[in-house]
Amino acid sequence: MEGFLIFSISVLTLAFVYVILCLALNIECGVAGMWDLGIVSYFGVGAYSYAILVAPAAASYQHYLFGFELNPVFGILLAVTMGGISAYLIGLPSLRLRREYFLITTIAFSEVLRITFSNENWLTNGVAGIYNIEQPLKTFFSPDIYLILLFIVFFVFAIITYFIVSRLSNSTYGLSLKALRENESLAKTARIEPSKQYHSVYVFTGCLAGLSGALYVWLNTLIVPTQFTPNVTFFVWTALIIGGIGNNKGAFLGAIFFVILLETLSFLNLSAELALVISSLRIALVGLALILILRFLPNGLISEKPRFL
Amino acid sequence: MDIFIYGLVTGSILLICALGFSMTLKTEGFINVAHGQMLMLGAYYALGLTYIGFPFIIAAFLSVLFCGFTGLLFQRVLFKPIKGNGILVQLFTSVGLAYMINGLVGAIAGKRMLSFDIPIARVIKVGDVYLVTPYEFMILVIVLITVLILHLFLQYSILGKNIRAVADNQELAKIRGINPDRCSDLVWFIASSLAGLGGIFLGILGAVHLNMGWQQIVMILSVTVLGGLGSIYGVMLAGLLLGFAMEFGLLVFSSNYRTAIAFGVIILVLVIRPEGLQSLWQSKGREN
Repeated sequence: MEGFLIFSISVLTLAFVYVILCLALNIECGVAGMWDLGIVSYFGVGAYSYAILVAPAAASYQHYLFGFELNPVFGILLAVTMGGISAYLIGLPSLRLRREYFLITTIAFSEVLRITFSNENWLTNGVAGIYNIEQPLKTFFSPDIYLILLFIVFFVFAIITYFIVSRLSNSTYGLSLKALRENESLAKTARIEPSKQYHSVYVFTGCLAGLSGALYVWLNTLIVPTQFTPNVTFFVWTALIIGGIGNNKGAFLGAIFFVILLETLSFLNLSAELALVISSLRIALVGLALILILRFLPNGLISEKPRFL
Repeated sequence: MDIFIYGLVTGSILLICALGFSMTLKTEGFINVAHGQMLMLGAYYALGLTYIGFPFIIAAFLSVLFCGFTGLLFQRVLFKPIKGNGILVQLFTSVGLAYMINGLVGAIAGKRMLSFDIPIARVIKVGDVYLVTPYEFMILVIVLITVLILHLFLQYSILGKNIRAVADNQELAKIRGINPDRCSDLVWFIASSLAGLGGIFLGILGAVHLNMGWQQIVMILSVTVLGGLGSIYGVMLAGLLLGFAMEFGLLVFSSNYRTAIAFGVIILVLVIRPEGLQSLWQSKGREN
């Protein structure tokens, strides 16, 4: 296949992972209005759950005890479950807080998790990470076909997530979340229980983030703790803000737009030295885009549609 | 004794890094994520100035000033026009700014770990007890002086009083004829130069690298929360406390978990007493 085609397909495949993460963030932060800066926690937990279940047993120079070489389906299921469970547990203390306090607690939890990932060698092989995690069904297809297959599978995952999330945000449940976002005391008078609603949406977000973590490892075939810095959280937030916070279509397109923005420049054939400069400038470009969007299009590319007006 | 001194040094650097952040939070009302990158910028300015031939002390001094003016520029160009658009807009503009600073510095300076070209110092020895290196001692002294000056400035000078008035109640301050824009400019200048100073300290004791801003901003957030959002004296106490907590925690945990200890403390504090340390000396009526 042509180089450029392969490149764009793999960029879009990666974009679909971000789409799921972005949709998860949108229902939590866009629809329910929570200020979560710790979404990378469940992304990481999901990714490690998948990796540990699917990876082959450790070689002599590696330290992790587990590596079950199980079917990736179990890996994905465990990733979703563990993402949800970790969100439930983190939610227990942190959901008692609001706004800035909630934001800081969640980011603190995500850092504690990342530091744990890089130090507990028996579980995660530490900073060296786990390599050679086999992609499911890889052996049955030629690399080109597999690339397209991966693209389709990830696309299906993203579309399914999109439909679930948009159904949910337009359901009575979603409306109750929006009510809480707009006016918590007023929502209480309509018999909406804040703590219950917040906790459930938090767990739901955790499940989705866990799923996208598993897909991320599937795509990359390796996992290292540096993939799970707060940077991921900020990237997803940036994508959501570019797309339009509160709007699921916006979240979908924002994630794709963002990944394209981030990855396009890396296609150019450059000398190593120049490539380093470009990779830094890319980050600056993302920053500039974020600033400009916030200044001139504060609701993002597609803004949330008001209902019942 | 060693641990006490390490705690003091770690704590006072944290304090300087968090002070400016806390000031912008208090007067501008949002979380300035770019503050971490201002630390990095300070260290890189100093590095660049020594590179073109300035002696280290002068380079450090100029770098602090440059940082202040850079902060002022950001306030005028980026933050003033969006004032009043909501906290999230301001917060994420600062995230965008953080990416821009990080990217531009990375493009110019590269991604290698760098360090200041200063001679290695011996530990000062008093009797049989090893105390601090001269650098650490200088840092402690400068931190002490800076904190004192800031305290006197905020408590007794007219400009400082204006800043506190605007932070407390902007509308009321306006009625009294205080110009909030000028206060904002001043706060940005002070906060950014404090960040530059903190960055240089970090560079002296460790290395100068591109990720130092991102690493520090999470710590700064923690210190600020522990102190009670936007309370300057709370932050001073919190910086020292966290410094001690991190160093004493090493007695129990492995050193890889140094920062995790700090976050653990924060989570605990938030769950027990969300208002932070400032609630210790503020009216009891506000507790729940």
